Amino acid sequence: MSATGAARTGARGSRLFGLGRGLSRERGNFTWVYLWGAPLRAMHWVAAACVVVLIVTGFYIGRPYFMTSGEASAHFLMGRVRFIHFTAAAVLMMTGIVRVYWLFAGNRFERLPALFPLTPKNARRIARTTSEYLTFRPGKEPGLVGHGPLQQVAYTSLYLLVTVMVVTGLTMYGQSNPGGIIFRAFAWVPSLLGGLQLVRLVHHVLAWAVIVYVLIHVYFTIRSDYIERVGRVSSIITGGLFVSTDEKYDDYDIDEVPARPWPGSEYPNPTK
Amino acid sequence: MITPSAYGWTESETLRQHLESRGVSRRDFLKFCGEIAVVLGVGAAAAPRIARALEAVKRPTVIWLQLQECTGCVESVLRTADPTIGDLLLDLVSLDYNHTLMAGAGTAVEKAKQSSMAANKGKYILVVTGSIPTKEGGIYTMVGGRTAEVLVKEAADGAAAILAVGACAHFGSVQAARPNPTGAVGVRDIIKNRPIVNIAGCPPIGDTVTATVVHFLTYGRLPAVDGEGRPLFAYGKRIHDQCTRRAHFDAGQFVQAFDDESARKGFCLYSVGCKGPATFSPCPIFQWNTRTSWPIGAGHPCIGCTEPHFWDTMTPFYGRLPNVGGFAVEQRVDTIGAALAIGAAAGIATHAAATVYTQIKRRKATHQVPETATEPENQDG
Ligand code: HEM
Ligand code: HEM
Ligand code: SF4
Ligand code: SF4
Repeated sequence: MSATGAARTGARGSRLFGLGRGLSRERGNFTWVYLWGAPLRAMHWVAAACVVVLIVTGFYIGRPYFMTSGEASAHFLMGRVRFIHFTAAAVLMMTGIVRVYWLFAGNRFERLPALFPLTPKNARRIARTTSEYLTFRPGKEPGLVGHGPLQQVAYTSLYLLVTVMVVTGLTMYGQSNPGGIIFRAFAWVPSLLGGLQLVRLVHHVLAWAVIVYVLIHVYFTIRSDYIERVGRVSSIITGGLFVSTDEKYDDYDIDEVPARPWPGSEYPNPTK
Repeated sequence: MITPSAYGWTESETLRQHLESRGVSRRDFLKFCGEIAVVLGVGAAAAPRIARALEAVKRPTVIWLQLQECTGCVESVLRTADPTIGDLLLDLVSLDYNHTLMAGAGTAVEKAKQSSMAANKGKYILVVTGSIPTKEGGIYTMVGGRTAEVLVKEAADGAAAILAVGACAHFGSVQAARPNPTGAVGVRDIIKNRPIVNIAGCPPIGDTVTATVVHFLTYGRLPAVDGEGRPLFAYGKRIHDQCTRRAHFDAGQFVQAFDDESARKGFCLYSVGCKGPATFSPCPIFQWNTRTSWPIGAGHPCIGCTEPHFWDTMTPFYGRLPNVGGFAVEQRVDTIGAALAIGAAAGIATHAAATVYTQIKRRKATHQVPETATEPENQDG
């Protein structure tokens, strides 16, 4: 479960001389740390699929280049594309509900406070992470098992970004049924932004932000998998990481990994 | 079938009597009531009620203020779908005070207006076309030496109801477009304590005005309105959801240029900037000039003239997305977005290459040097 004494001493020794800083550990003692609950993982992939579908269909709605010919009654291209957009949006919103539930039911890495790592210490860490990304120099402090604060800030912004997409999207969606529930619930949006066209514009511009975000997100997860070698990408599939027990982590007491790291058994570890 | 008004509708006459004296048959009158009932969305079954109420109506006093405007709205209202009765309602309007239609001028009519307002205090209908300039003390529109703001406040004071007709009276229209040099605003921005209905549009369709007046005469109150203060019977639905070209939208058939094959085939005008998806208006149903046609029917995209600040938010008229702060978003947003995405991809590729390079170097260094060696990463700094 936890590392052997010998290995730990070795690790400390090497850390003393700075060896292995910022480097993944490929040999030694490892343990599997369970981080992401099944609802989070499920919602991640369903949401990712929805976002891809929304981008593709949204593009067509924004710029319908493909056209059909012949009788209008024989085709339903835009109608279908919009139907898919709205269906994907509905599924995306359901994953949002799962995420909100998990903000309260999840573990300490998944709960609401984790989304806002707003401490001075984390601000410094964000600055350091940024400089690491720019200079390619490895970090000089204990790593984290969970999200780094910069990474977390990015995820939290994405949640906010998608929320704005949902709000502006629903506002436009509600227009076809004036006086309906959706229409009335989002009547404040056009007044706030200065008209329906501005709502459309915000939705359109932020679609690009989503695209750029997805590119960067996928890059950094794969990059971290490559550098840290802890199985970062598979963590959003299996729920856990293989982390070295020869290292120390700021956000996780590696000596206290629960035996059965499943929900109901005080997972992941409660010590911090 | 209608004789030109040899004499006006006198005050003691009911509408029924007046119509008879002008040779309007009861059949025509009932037909008109039926049409109005349909326009108002109360159903043809309500026609008898409307007829009964209208027949008994004594000539109402209508004061029509024309402020900072182009008179287009009066022109539009003149073209009501049913000229016989529509004209009549206009006759009734013109009787008391309307710059374009009244015969008199000068101090005399100003006096007449004052006495008419005083005599019918709390009972008259106030129609306003045109905006109210507020900058420089409102000197940009003055009638009889007094500013539009003073005039509209004075007239609103004794009005039973106010019809703000047209985009100018609604929110200021083109004169309120950025940078709004005269500080033009709509009636609702000046008058807060009177029932106002906005007959939105630049110009609005005459039938909407007629129907609103009929509603007021029949039910004694203004029709139900939406969040913009526009009567729901007319502005309750989007153009896009009532459009005759909608089948082409759903089918994915779009006009790309005004002279292309698709334009000739009458495809949807979405790609050439149609604002139907963002505009609430009865155009497709009421249509214009006695139901002759309407903009989209004639091949021109909707410019969204019934929506507040459409000169700012619906422009460019031939582009789908609005210009913000004079920045041609429509042309640039996708270019910039694509540039950002490509830039991000290029940045990612570069960053990935650098990552792999430094990582390989570092790994090599680590593997070559024994555990106790000095800091290998200092060498690659
Ligand atoms: C449209 C596509 C995607 C979106 C919108 C998206 C969004 C997100 C969000 C919001 C989180 C944070 C979850 C949380 O803790 O609250 C996350 C985590 C994660 N995503 Fe994605 N994702 C997308 C695609 C992908 C893809 C394609 C991969 C695989 C390479 C991936 C791998 C991961 C991983 C590994 C994590 C966990 C990060 C960690 O353990 O530190 N995502 N994603
Ligand atoms: C990541 C999420 C999303 C992306 C990338 C996206 C993308 C887009 C794009 C590019 C457009 C075209 C905008 C234009 O130029 O007119 C659009 C339209 C639209 N989207 Fe989204 N969208 C997303 C989420 C949503 C959501 C959650 C809803 C909620 C219902 C929604 C509803 C709509 C509606 C109603 C339209 C207008 C369709 C029409 O007028 O026919 N979208 N979307
Ligand atoms: S022409 Fe305009 S209002 Fe009509 S379907 Fe096309 S986009 Fe909608
Ligand atoms: S089609 Fe649109 S722009 Fe034209 S008159 Fe009607 S609402 Fe105004």
